[in-house]
Amino acid sequence: MLCQSISPCIDKARVATLQDELLNASTGSDMVLLREGLCPGLSEDLIKALHGGDVRTVEDLVLSDPEHLAQKCSVSYKALVAVRRVLLAQHTAFPVSGADLYDELLSSTSILSTGITSVDNLLDSGLYTGEITELCGGPGTGKTQMCFSVAVNVAHELKQKVMYIDTNGGICANRLLQMLQQKTVNTAEQMNALQRISVLRVFDVFALLSSLQNLRASGLQKGAVGGSVKAVIVDSVSAVLSHMLGGKQNEGMSLMMQVATELKMIAKDFNVAVLVTNHVTRDGNNQLKAGLGQSWSHVPRTRILLQRVEKPGASSSLRTATLLKSSRQPCYMIEEFDLSPQPQGESRTGFAGKRKLDTDS
Amino acid sequence: MMLRTVSSSPLAPSVKVRLINAGFHTAADLTEVQPLQLCKAAGISPEEADEVLRTLRDDSSPLQQGAAVQSLTALDLLHQEETRGSIVTFCSELDAVLGGGVPVGKTTEICGVPGVGKTQLCVQLAVDVQIPVCFGGLGGEAVFIDTEGGFVVERLVGVAEAAVKHCAALAEDEEQRKALESFSVEKILSGVFLIRCQDHTELLAELHLLHDFLRKRPQVQLVVIDSVAFPFRHELEDLSHRTRILTGFSQQLTHLSAQHGAAVVLTNQMTTKVSSGQSKLVPALGEIWGHAATQRLILHWEGAQRFASLYKSSSHRDATVPYHITAEGFRDASVSASSASSLSPAAGSHSKRPRTEHQHS
Ligand SMILES: Nc1ncnc2c1ncn2[C@@H]1O[C@H](COP(=O)(O)OP(=O)(O)OP(=O)(O)O)[C@@H](O)[C@H]1O
Ligand SMILES: [Mg+2]
Repeated sequence: MLCQSISPCIDKARVATLQDELLNASTGSDMVLLREGLCPGLSEDLIKALHGGDVRTVEDLVLSDPEHLAQKCSVSYKALVAVRRVLLAQHTAFPVSGADLYDELLSSTSILSTGITSVDNLLDSGLYTGEITELCGGPGTGKTQMCFSVAVNVAHELKQKVMYIDTNGGICANRLLQMLQQKTVNTAEQMNALQRISVLRVFDVFALLSSLQNLRASGLQKGAVGGSVKAVIVDSVSAVLSHMLGGKQNEGMSLMMQVATELKMIAKDFNVAVLVTNHVTRDGNNQLKAGLGQSWSHVPRTRILLQRVEKPGASSSLRTATLLKSSRQPCYMIEEFDLSPQPQGESRTGFAGKRKLDTDS
Repeated sequence: MMLRTVSSSPLAPSVKVRLINAGFHTAADLTEVQPLQLCKAAGISPEEADEVLRTLRDDSSPLQQGAAVQSLTALDLLHQEETRGSIVTFCSELDAVLGGGVPVGKTTEICGVPGVGKTQLCVQLAVDVQIPVCFGGLGGEAVFIDTEGGFVVERLVGVAEAAVKHCAALAEDEEQRKALESFSVEKILSGVFLIRCQDHTELLAELHLLHDFLRKRPQVQLVVIDSVAFPFRHELEDLSHRTRILTGFSQQLTHLSAQHGAAVVLTNQMTTKVSSGQSKLVPALGEIWGHAATQRLILHWEGAQRFASLYKSSSHRDATVPYHITAEGFRDASVSASSASSLSPAAGSHSKRPRTEHQHS
């Protein structure tokens, strides 16, 4: 089943060339008429609308330009793309390059919500698969909390898997559970979501590199439960890299670029969103800037700076997120968010509540 | 498929260069090679060849890899956190803020001006980690690394006596009375391993030895370093060099606590920082060091009252609570809070029943 919240946005040029391939490959193969029940989302209404656009077979649908077709038949673009994908998956036998095409389509970009609305705004809807996004900030600014939020969101809302690589001991399953409890009271769902999050704990750059290489070799196929890995999180890269850089050491730079290469390949080859965290330093004018220097600054496609809000009287859990680098939105856009939003309704999280009782008893 | 590369392995840079020059780039290139062949081909010593093969072959075999980097799901981690538990502080308000006490398997930094009670809290923890399991404790032992010469054994005796009395007053059943027989002041004293370090070189060396020590004595569940600031503040003038050493040091501490399931507690001094014309007290050792510990606790004065503030935690919201230091040790500031407290067991599973009847003497 396709998840509604992963919004597809297909690289048009790539699809066009694939369509050419498909045309050549599929001449002479069987025609499959579009009919209700052929795949989820293919309703009678949709079929009728498609007939209006002269689209009657699976092939017609696959070969048409979804954006154009959506306009022509006034149907939802998103629904059309979703149906197309599923049909391709089901009919891998008909076009020779169908499997390739399906892979390509699957590998079209998805956007994963971070679970924090204002940060999603900053990121133009969320984390993009196929790309590396970086959170940088000082101690306690909420980098790890944001990583948790992404992990919980992908595992619970999208029912997809997450690979969480912890290098600084920040991972806390209890906090992940707290966040899940704010999303659902169903314990089975909470446990399922926790099982979709695989945790790797590495404490030096060599272990990080070997884990990344192993992940790539195994095709990211880890864990027992279904779904595919949609996000790879590394909290934090600076913890294992910063002390290897500078001074008389010359290996650090090479190791850093190897980490960068591995992460980029994982993002691209498996079409996952890679999220990393980084610390900050100050430049000559006492301005904050992201750590790890110039060479690393080209690695993340998008970079966000997190800061505490130091206003007297402001809640201590208030933070700002500033866009430092982006190819989609104007830089230096700022959004505010709260690390501990009041849970809706009266519901105090069950676990925290229980903990407290124990403590006071 | 083996993706492990020579360049990303933790081998000496000179050895790596020789391997690569001889055409060995990945683990796969080394699968068929005998140590002696490798010596000749790459021009390295037999010892080096041995190490090369051990490093690269171990990493690439999936079985070994599992042992080297533990991959678990967040659900496994949740169980691990729950069974590991926390060390109570004997200040119930602080325990509540920390979610049951100082967590085992994580690093906690305690910052504060001289005399505010950092060492007192450390001594309290070194005693409390030994509280028998049937009283809701961990039945562990402690390593206390003293770098400032601030450890006073008389103080340990005083705190231990109070803790023994405290438990004696709580004992209700046969099991607890039996446990009390071996929970004596002498036993507590012999369960604290004191190590004195003069400077940062000794401290770093000690850390290497600790891995072995903790493997042999798994009952050690607390490692205190009181303080980190002293050896690093006074001996390393070159700031960027110091920062690098400190970051490497903090990674080792994180590794130590995660691998051996011990709480690592560090103390740090405060320093004045002038920013935008205002001076304020901030933890010493620089901003980057702030990332080091999983949680940061700041002890401070407000008039004549001492307060503890949780300033950073990946699982609990920031909060400030008052505390007292009495002849017995670290305690609640208000009597009403202390009367509500007992041993406030961190891991609920350890607690046999609520104990509300106890009053501090
Ligand atoms: N259960 C919780 N409820 C509310 N806020 C929380 C909770 N747990 C943590 N926080 C907030 O998150 C802050 C810590 O943020 P986080 O762990 O993300 O820091 P970080 O940016 O990763 O820091 P570092 O670089 O040191 O790892 C805490 O200081 C607290 O304000
Ligand atoms: Mg963190």
